[in-house]
Amino acid sequence: MDILLQSVVNGILAGCIYALFAMGLTLIYGVLNFVNFAHGELIMWGAYFLYLFVSEPFSLPLWVAVAPALLCTVCLGMAMDFAVFRPLRKADRLTLLIAAMGLSFLLRNAAQFFWGAEVRTYGLEITRGFRFLGLSLTANQILIIGVTVICVIGVYLLFFRTSLGKSMRAVSDNLDLARVVGINARWSIRAAWVVSALLAGTGGILMALDTNLNPEMGVINLVKAFAATLIGGVGNLWGALLGGLLIGLAENLSVLVISPGYKDAVAFAIMVGILLTRPYIVTGKRMD
Amino acid sequence: MSKFKALFAIVLLVLFVASPVRAAQDTIRIGAAFALTGSIAVYGEGFRKCVDLAVDEINAKGGIKGKKIQIVYEDNKSTPKDCVTAVRKLITVDKVPVLFGPAGSSNFMAAAPVAQESKAVMVSAQGTAEKLTQAGPFIFRIIPSNAKQGQRLAKLAFDMGYKKLPVMYVNNDWGLDLKDGFVESFKKMGGVVTDIIPFDEKKTDYRTELLRVNRGNPAAIVNLTYINEGAVQFKQAYEMGIKTQWLCGSAARAPKMVELAGKAAEGVIGTYPSVPQDTKQYKAFKDAYRKKYGDDKIPIFGDYNYDMVYLVAKAIEKGGYTAEGIRKALPAVAKGYKGVTGDKTFDAKRGMLNADMGLWTVKDGKIIDYKK
Repeated sequence: MDILLQSVVNGILAGCIYALFAMGLTLIYGVLNFVNFAHGELIMWGAYFLYLFVSEPFSLPLWVAVAPALLCTVCLGMAMDFAVFRPLRKADRLTLLIAAMGLSFLLRNAAQFFWGAEVRTYGLEITRGFRFLGLSLTANQILIIGVTVICVIGVYLLFFRTSLGKSMRAVSDNLDLARVVGINARWSIRAAWVVSALLAGTGGILMALDTNLNPEMGVINLVKAFAATLIGGVGNLWGALLGGLLIGLAENLSVLVISPGYKDAVAFAIMVGILLTRPYIVTGKRMD
Repeated sequence: MSKFKALFAIVLLVLFVASPVRAAQDTIRIGAAFALTGSIAVYGEGFRKCVDLAVDEINAKGGIKGKKIQIVYEDNKSTPKDCVTAVRKLITVDKVPVLFGPAGSSNFMAAAPVAQESKAVMVSAQGTAEKLTQAGPFIFRIIPSNAKQGQRLAKLAFDMGYKKLPVMYVNNDWGLDLKDGFVESFKKMGGVVTDIIPFDEKKTDYRTELLRVNRGNPAAIVNLTYINEGAVQFKQAYEMGIKTQWLCGSAARAPKMVELAGKAAEGVIGTYPSVPQDTKQYKAFKDAYRKKYGDDKIPIFGDYNYDMVYLVAKAIEKGGYTAEGIRKALPAVAKGYKGVTGDKTFDAKRGMLNADMGLWTVKDGKIIDYKK
């Protein structure tokens, strides 16, 4: 029983991180109508920006370094849009897809150029987790859940309680129509990049705090985020949240019954299964 | 018109004179299809340091018959597919008759048939899968195979009194091969393997795998893991409060792993193809490494890479700078050769005849030899 409960907790933790990634990914899809394959690199760079600020010559305390790291991630997101995606705004999806993939390679190799391929950590002291009810939880893991909840509430408030959020939703629904009724689409798109980069950077930092950093961390998790996005219905924020949690739970629970070698396969099996049978699971409407 | 012809001829001549093929005649070029980017670049960078060290030494002493050695590095991006591309490029474009193969048994085995078909000698200094050299007579391994290590690990577990334990292993050719070697020997000795759990490389979260392997709180767990994976696993196991004796293989025996895992790696015990460190060869190697790189954190398998360069250099000196010559000369020069990593004599399968298996452990953040 303990093992089952602990697996559920592990699944939720993994799911929180996937959800943060998936929400950022789905947001850009919703507003700009393309899958940003370089989203994984925002995740990775977020974690590495923090590494940059906690190591020489900045040597900031970890908590202080989070703010400039997130700021840099947002700047990177904006720069991505400005340099690559904005000039291609009218291009077809395939062009955007290829551009995003190229950008992903570029950013990943840039990180590897600066920091090397080796795995790094923030050098935090390793501590035993807290134990209660037979469960083990570390401070980092509590932080992950807490920050995810804050992010989700923040995104909710932004989208449903501010006029900027309203215009973002309008742009997401129909860009041309939004323009016609006088919504400033440019600001909505910028806001989408800021939020997407913030979510990616936050998720990347949380994950790196909990485990470690390497230049490939973005790509690996992007695939999961992508699956979560698909499960939740592309462009749907709450769907992405649910999809992330679902994948985290499913792959962790599966380990108890089947060989962990198939852990990744479980996520994809669910994804394919849902796409084939009920693509309307979250959106309430058929995707096609 | 004839002016054009003359010009054309001059251009051709210049191109020919300036071409690298021409320049190559003054140097001995050896290929190296190393992981310089990608997931196992953390190993590749260390190999490169040790290869460069050996090359610098040989060149400083006058090279091979007066010709300097030049290593042509090709990044294999840590994937089997790119390993094949890298090896093919080295053989067809750079035209090297001999090359140092990629790390990682899966990667090496993907590329070995290419080298064999093209009749280029390919040597591995870190691939330990038993089947590694079966692609053909041009493929060599200068590190002991997993079968021998598996036996030693089984004996270690038995000697320590662990007769029932679960096994987890990194799901690739190296892990699978060593797991097979261990399980077979352990069962033969009368041991019981309670669970066998493969895990994927490159993951950041192994908590649930650890949860499963720790089911029933076994006194010892065999974990055939890599550097990064091991670091994450030991850290997470520590956080989860898993108290067990970890028994590992050679791939985790790296200062980097201990640095990453910190105190969570304390007390881990493992096997490795041992290299007696009190020989004069090893001391000289260590001194030279420190002199060149400023520290004595010898990268994992770096010593084998260092020996590989010397062996191949000797083979070129004896057999000439052709693949056939090197292939024939390699076993002859290796016979009885005492390198940094011990006796390098080949067996009939072009693997190592003599293999000492040592034990390592982590104490106070350092990797030391384990003694009972």
